[in-house]
Amino acid sequence: MGSGGNKHNRSVTRRSFLKASGAVGLAPVLSAPFVSGALADNTALTIVQWSHFVPAFDTWFDKFAKDWGDKNKIAVTVDHIPVQDVPARAAAEASAQSGHDIFGFNGSGGAHLYRKFFINLADLVKETEKKYGAVSIIGKQLGYNADDGTWSAFPDYYINFPGMYQKSLWDEIGMKPDTWDDVRLGGAKLKAKGKPVGISLGHSNDPSTTWRGLLWSYGASEQDEAGKKIILDSKATVEAVKYVAALYKEAMTPEVLSWNDASNNQYLASGVGSYIINPISAYRTIQQSNKTLADDIFVIEPPRGPVKRIMGAASEFYGIWKFAKNKEAAIEFLKYYRDNWPEAFKASSGYNNPCFANLVPKPMPILSNDPTSTPPTKLAILQDSDKWSAIPGYPGPATPATDEIYYAFILNDMMAKAATGASSAEDAVKEATQRCEAIFKKWARRT
Amino acid sequence: MVAIADSVPKPAARFRFILDRRDVLGSLMVGPAILYVLLLVGVPFLMAVYYSLSAYTIYDPSWSFVGLDNFEDVVADPVFRQTLYNTFIFTFGSQLLGLILGKFGALVLLRPFPGRKLVRALVILPWAVPIALATVAWQWMFDSLYSVINWTLIALGVVTRSDAPNWLGTPHLAMLSVIVVNAWRFFPFAIVIFLAGITAIPQDVLDAATVDGAGFWRRNYQIIMPMILPIVAVGLIFGIVFTFTDLSIVFLMTMGGPVGATSVLGFSGFQTGIVSGDVSHGAAISLFMLPVLFVVVVAMLRFIRRREI
Repeated sequence: MGSGGNKHNRSVTRRSFLKASGAVGLAPVLSAPFVSGALADNTALTIVQWSHFVPAFDTWFDKFAKDWGDKNKIAVTVDHIPVQDVPARAAAEASAQSGHDIFGFNGSGGAHLYRKFFINLADLVKETEKKYGAVSIIGKQLGYNADDGTWSAFPDYYINFPGMYQKSLWDEIGMKPDTWDDVRLGGAKLKAKGKPVGISLGHSNDPSTTWRGLLWSYGASEQDEAGKKIILDSKATVEAVKYVAALYKEAMTPEVLSWNDASNNQYLASGVGSYIINPISAYRTIQQSNKTLADDIFVIEPPRGPVKRIMGAASEFYGIWKFAKNKEAAIEFLKYYRDNWPEAFKASSGYNNPCFANLVPKPMPILSNDPTSTPPTKLAILQDSDKWSAIPGYPGPATPATDEIYYAFILNDMMAKAATGASSAEDAVKEATQRCEAIFKKWARRT
Repeated sequence: MVAIADSVPKPAARFRFILDRRDVLGSLMVGPAILYVLLLVGVPFLMAVYYSLSAYTIYDPSWSFVGLDNFEDVVADPVFRQTLYNTFIFTFGSQLLGLILGKFGALVLLRPFPGRKLVRALVILPWAVPIALATVAWQWMFDSLYSVINWTLIALGVVTRSDAPNWLGTPHLAMLSVIVVNAWRFFPFAIVIFLAGITAIPQDVLDAATVDGAGFWRRNYQIIMPMILPIVAVGLIFGIVFTFTDLSIVFLMTMGGPVGATSVLGFSGFQTGIVSGDVSHGAAISLFMLPVLFVVVVAMLRFIRRREI
């Protein structure tokens, strides 16, 4: 009543009208940076993920997403960014509470790091398990939160790291790089012939992945199964580090200290390297540039250690932000993508490996019979790579702490210090353990 | 009477009168720059300070205050101390090399020769080329397998394939490599600074010195250098600040390797704060640059002011 009493006394002058309309007009402009991006938008879906190493996969994925969007009257946008930009992009989107609906993440601990920003995808994972079999250990490491049974991410694929060797060279010395000892002994003989082994000791993803595999094969690891304690300082770790020092001196050359992720591929492609451990991208590249050499390169399971045969792997998962504008469409798209996963597998030329037991039934296309390879069964062993693949954090979960250890290159430096004689194996392990413990202690206070 | 009526100032005239005042116009002109600095430098800086004193991580974006705990953690890490040392070597090494190259470049470009204008334009290229492109090119030059530098040294018979330098694989050579790339980026700027300074020296001063028997070196070190020192110092401040905070060359070329030999503060802060999600420790690492840069800048500005007086 009170306020209504003045209503009729108000006069709207031209000046006050202009002021009011100006303020209304300016409001969206001025407030735009502060408005949450979480306003629902059912007509669009945005996805960001790395620029895949196999460009044909990106081409396939973009068309696949667009076709799904056309069918469902949703405008789908897929952005591809360089792999090294993924962490910074994720941090930016999480901080701004605005960005893409689906975030395709590389790196093992990302889903746990961004746990509070991603929606729970447990229903999607459970439904996928019902349809396509149990999720793999890698899948669980990637997205499962043991404390409350939630899933921060939908595990998409892992990239395995088999061995690759020049068969004619290894045949000459009557050996096959089946165990780590074979790699060292055979590598030493081949180094004498100018054909060393090439496993990086630098700061990049490949050595971080490979040397973890070696540690696990010796029965060592950085953390325990529960992911609560650093257990790096062990006899098994020291033995593994001593092995790397011997491998470096006997079968490799100092150039491995400077290598990035492309270097071992180039080493094999140059015909100099006799053995590397890498995703099959190295082989695929050589197929295009040097068919004769490619025919001589054979793909083999990663070396078996004293305890088991196991190797590190890279991984990819999808998370849906809590602030995503179209969460329903994001989940529906992931379901559709999952149901067409064998097509994705083919588009990646067998580079992407499934995280669910029967997602790609065996015999797997391409891997079981690759018409571009001689013999066509050359890649067949990769069908069972889930048996010998794990991601950083193994035997425990991938966490922000294990990720920081990974990105600080602590294990790479531990190996390199012992290899170059800068430290004894024991001292290198002790120093690395102290650094890992400091990181664990820090994250324990904050998680 | 008409005159009195005409003397009432119109709004437009009053506006013009305000703009005629130097203090008002000056404030208006400098206002956007101050706003820009406050919003894009001041606010992020204050946020970084607060991050460094908080428990903020991407996992738990909590602003709880932890005092200097993050700094204590950072200082206790021997790898951080190595990183701090590397940052000084990288910064001052590349500035020194850049200044030497810049000085000689400027002296060469002062002399008339055919195509001088073209050379002056081309010499700016390292500064203008995007750092990502340039670093990739340098990475190939230092590559362990395809290094054109090693190929040349081997072709000249200086080294053999087996003892060719492992540029990015040996700690000291890796640091030298990143210093060389940064100096290569910086030296065109140094040339411009030196050229501006040298051409501003009155010719009669140099002529008088020559008549008095001063040779090239004496003219150079006792006349030219002291006279251009203030402008060189300003250039050096820019160089030091930009290099001390830079992470691009290390990120693109070595990722801090081998064995942390080229890790610098910017890189380490980025890896910890952004890549690993520990924003508070990343901010603490990055803020270690602040006192160093503050001391360097203040010292150099005081030096410049004294020289000008």
